[in-house]
Amino acid sequence: MKYCEECHKAAASVFLKLAVNNKVTETHLCPACAAKKGMGLGLETGAFNISDIVGNMSGYFKDFLPPERRTLRCGSCGLKYSEFKESGRLGCPGCYGSFESQLTELMTRIHGAAHHSGRAYAGGAALKFSKAEAGRRLEELRAELKAAVDREDFEGAARLRDAMKSLEARRG
Amino acid sequence: MAEVIKAFRPHVTWANARGAWPDMIFSTRVRFARNLEGFPFPNRAEPRQLAEIRRLALAAAKATGLFTRGHFIKTEALGQLEKRFLVERHHISHALAASVLPSGAAVSNDEDLSAMVNEEDHLRLQCLCSGFAIEDAFRSALKLDEALGRELPFAYGGKFGFLTACPTNTGTGMRVSCLAHLPALSRLGRMPQVLENLSHLGVTARGIYGEGTCVLGDFYQISNATCLGRTEEEFCHNIDRVIRNLIRQEIAAREELLKGPLRLRTEDAVFRALGLLKHARRLSYEEFMQNVSLARMGAAMGWNMGVDFSTFNQATLLMQPAHIQAAAGKPLDAEARDAFRAEYLRKKLA
Repeated sequence: MKYCEECHKAAASVFLKLAVNNKVTETHLCPACAAKKGMGLGLETGAFNISDIVGNMSGYFKDFLPPERRTLRCGSCGLKYSEFKESGRLGCPGCYGSFESQLTELMTRIHGAAHHSGRAYAGGAALKFSKAEAGRRLEELRAELKAAVDREDFEGAARLRDAMKSLEARRG
Repeated sequence: MAEVIKAFRPHVTWANARGAWPDMIFSTRVRFARNLEGFPFPNRAEPRQLAEIRRLALAAAKATGLFTRGHFIKTEALGQLEKRFLVERHHISHALAASVLPSGAAVSNDEDLSAMVNEEDHLRLQCLCSGFAIEDAFRSALKLDEALGRELPFAYGGKFGFLTACPTNTGTGMRVSCLAHLPALSRLGRMPQVLENLSHLGVTARGIYGEGTCVLGDFYQISNATCLGRTEEEFCHNIDRVIRNLIRQEIAAREELLKGPLRLRTEDAVFRALGLLKHARRLSYEEFMQNVSLARMGAAMGWNMGVDFSTFNQATLLMQPAHIQAAAGKPLDAEARDAFRAEYLRKKLA
């Protein structure tokens, strides 16, 4: 068992790796000493603030991040990872795929695990959109289809055409 | 008085003091956070998308058959008093009541099931039961979740499970909570230690209306702090274990309050509280809660309070500010509410 490098009494369960000006230091602390240093996760009190945790994490890791990762965005909704760090709220289900490695780290900090072990979900019925919403979605797909044809992505175009057909069939 | 309030019954079954240990566990709640595939989460959705989500969600709720003769509510169209009434019934949250965007709720006829639409997540599904009833609440909430999950495509990924706007809810999306009444532990000054111990067990304690609300009348909402990495049953089992332990501690504390010189002091405090509830001419909700807490404990100890236990439970619901105005049939300012509350309570306790 590793002892806390601060109090030398309790078991170290917080591992802190800091990179300052390319110099990496590693510290093992017990939760109490980590909290004293302002690095507690707040899990001990039950009242933690998600943006604080993410904020702390960004402090630890920012020196490791290449520039392109600093402007990480969700491919589905366009949310910047930095915006998530501010608000603590993700933008859409697609954010989980776009920020998967960051969220894996974060989930471990919040829940002590990063993998779902609960009920599996087999999926539900397709959404029956209103006429207006289906119309808007068809417009978007039509624009994407035109772009796919223009760049000669015929496989993508076929997929989009199928999506349009199924949307038209489901129009409420 | 607003139509929405009139549509609800004056009493709710989940405040009926039934189930196991109703004197210590007021109610049990299980909720699931769910989102629809194909839409941004509410915080990034446009008003037209939120309106479409609500339309889809309320139609799906209707199609499950679990909301027959229930209530289907568009919240942004409601007045402050109606919103407050729904918050007091635990059907919507403070956050949803404050929203001016398209949002809503479906509430079942006997008010044990509800689905809140476009709060932090597209859907918050819940089941509320009286007393200590984790198994029952879990089964009913799961039935609602599975029925709605067939009607709508929920956002789900194999790795992270059910996907939610805030990562603290990702995974099972489940929160199991018991509203515990702990007057003896509070009176003996043990609550800080109890809360400290709870925090090491993966459990959170909150106020009576959930997140960010204060503790009133020694009522604590105890729930799981995490919801990923274990099965739903394991999270339920953990809360069950914690609550049973809490009940044992409260029983021991109540026994302590009946020993030696403490007994007379306890009796004195309980009957003074009852006297105040029965004879006050002005009564704020906070003062009511402080005193009903002691009277409720007296009733649990088997002392003759002149009213049954359920009356105290229903009173904690009926004495809330919006419920008082619903009973008065008109909006009242704080001063008028306190006078009406005192008179209304005297009648209930007579």
